[in-house]
Amino acid sequence: MNRRGFIAAGGAACCALAAASAGAQDAWLAPARFSRPDLSTDEGGLWAMMDREERNLRRSPFVIRDRALNEYVQGIACRLAGDHCPDMRVHIVNTPLFNASMAPNGMMQVWSGLLLRVENEAQLAAVIGHEIGHYLEKHSLERLRDARSASAFAQFIGLFGLVGALGQLAVLAGMFSFSRDQERRADVIGATLMHRAGYDTGEAAKIWSNLLLELKARPDGDPALKSPMFATHPPADERSDTLARLAATLGGGATNADVWEQKIRPFRREWLLEEIKRGQHEESLALLDRMSGGSTAVPDYRYARGEVYRLRAKEGDLDLALEDFRAAAALGGEPPETHRALGLIYRIRRQPAEAKASFLRYLDMAPAAPDQAMIKSYMEELGS
Amino acid sequence: MKRIVLLCAVLVLSGCVSIAKIETGQHAVGDRLTVNIEGAWNHINAPGMGPAQVWTMEGMAVDQLLLYSGIRDGQAVHSGGGNDNQKSMTYRSNMQPDEIAALFEGMLTRDGSRYRLSKLEPVSLGDLKGLRFEYSLVRKIDNVQLAGVGYAATSRGELFALLYMAPRLVFYPRHIARVEHIGQSMRIKP
Repeated sequence: MNRRGFIAAGGAACCALAAASAGAQDAWLAPARFSRPDLSTDEGGLWAMMDREERNLRRSPFVIRDRALNEYVQGIACRLAGDHCPDMRVHIVNTPLFNASMAPNGMMQVWSGLLLRVENEAQLAAVIGHEIGHYLEKHSLERLRDARSASAFAQFIGLFGLVGALGQLAVLAGMFSFSRDQERRADVIGATLMHRAGYDTGEAAKIWSNLLLELKARPDGDPALKSPMFATHPPADERSDTLARLAATLGGGATNADVWEQKIRPFRREWLLEEIKRGQHEESLALLDRMSGGSTAVPDYRYARGEVYRLRAKEGDLDLALEDFRAAAALGGEPPETHRALGLIYRIRRQPAEAKASFLRYLDMAPAAPDQAMIKSYMEELGS
Repeated sequence: MKRIVLLCAVLVLSGCVSIAKIETGQHAVGDRLTVNIEGAWNHINAPGMGPAQVWTMEGMAVDQLLLYSGIRDGQAVHSGGGNDNQKSMTYRSNMQPDEIAALFEGMLTRDGSRYRLSKLEPVSLGDLKGLRFEYSLVRKIDNVQLAGVGYAATSRGELFALLYMAPRLVFYPRHIARVEHIGQSMRIKP
């Protein structure tokens, strides 16, 4: 489920979840564990294809193999999946976009861009629960059968069986894009699983609104003008009311924000650097404005936001960048690159003393920096 | 890799691609850039390939040498524009050396490939001060691990650059000496 898919599903869920009473959710029962389908069936073929993709994924250099992080995220999936836990295999993929997907054979992908954006464990549980909902309802198989085109499917297998690279997984995910009804159903199941696992279901709505903020920040305009989903859905205030009613109906639960902060902290700096490299400055600023407001990892967010300003370099951006870099440095625990960035701005502004001091601090904090020769040449230019 | 090979084969078979042999010696790239090469290269030309000349020793699916000559302020360093998830990477005439290296990093990672800078240093290209950088790249489309090197300098607000990449285990070591020779031979007319 990519960002737009999640937002569309989130909007659909507002309507669907409002209609679904807590009683109806409690009444929903998960199916029994699935056995491996016969290879001669369409479902068996689908599983075999996904097994092959999963073998490729396991070898991919894009997969994050950190044991503690994998066990943590797998644990969340298990907590939500209940009896289906042994069939769920979560793979964390280093890609700076909001995305999660679930294949019919139990292979789930969670991208690092999603982990960077969620604020607590409950929000991640909302996404994983949604994906498990697709799995339990066998939506991929439904979509495949809906296509009712044996020749197209054979061609599909022929194409992707040849290559089997990670890049094709995104295409595969696109092939199995779900209907709006399926998304609604997955959201109801996801919320049910969240509730039963003790999570605060109100957090699902926050992911939706956070993503909407990022999309609205894009220079190409309001998503409502671009997406039929937003063009045909209730106004934002009505959605908020619906979400508030849903949260009130299901009652509170845990967000596990502290645990989340502890587990994610070792990876956040690298994920933020990847986010900066995307070059989508406005989206990144919307994300960083939000994240720098309520987290203990403030120096990293302030550095990242300053760097986005510095790279965007619109009128007034360097002043904003300086403010963020100085704030990050004042807080302590800032990335070494904070001082490089400060030095680069001072160099442009012909403030040699400040530039040299910042570069020295950078080289002191990062003695093995790959650009140390360039930085030293800047310092020589600046003179003594 | 197979997908890239397939794409290249389709382009060649469709007759859209021309391949010219570049012989040893001095060559002009555009109006103001000259390079000196040792050993023959293949110059690939096809519609929509972007602002760089593309040379290769082994074939485009394996190694690529991109030569940029006279990129102007506001001009993209790649073909095509931006989309939902791919920002267009454009050169600005006031870019600092680190920003030029980051410009090419941005270009190489538009498809989700992973880039790591391993060296950025100053270099003299004739009378001009330039930059040289080394990097590694994991290509998203097929997970192949590449190594690369780049040279760049600016003159009269225009960007001149060379970018090479090849699979890191065999092809990069095989050709890097020739590429370094070309990079160091870059001369830009005032």
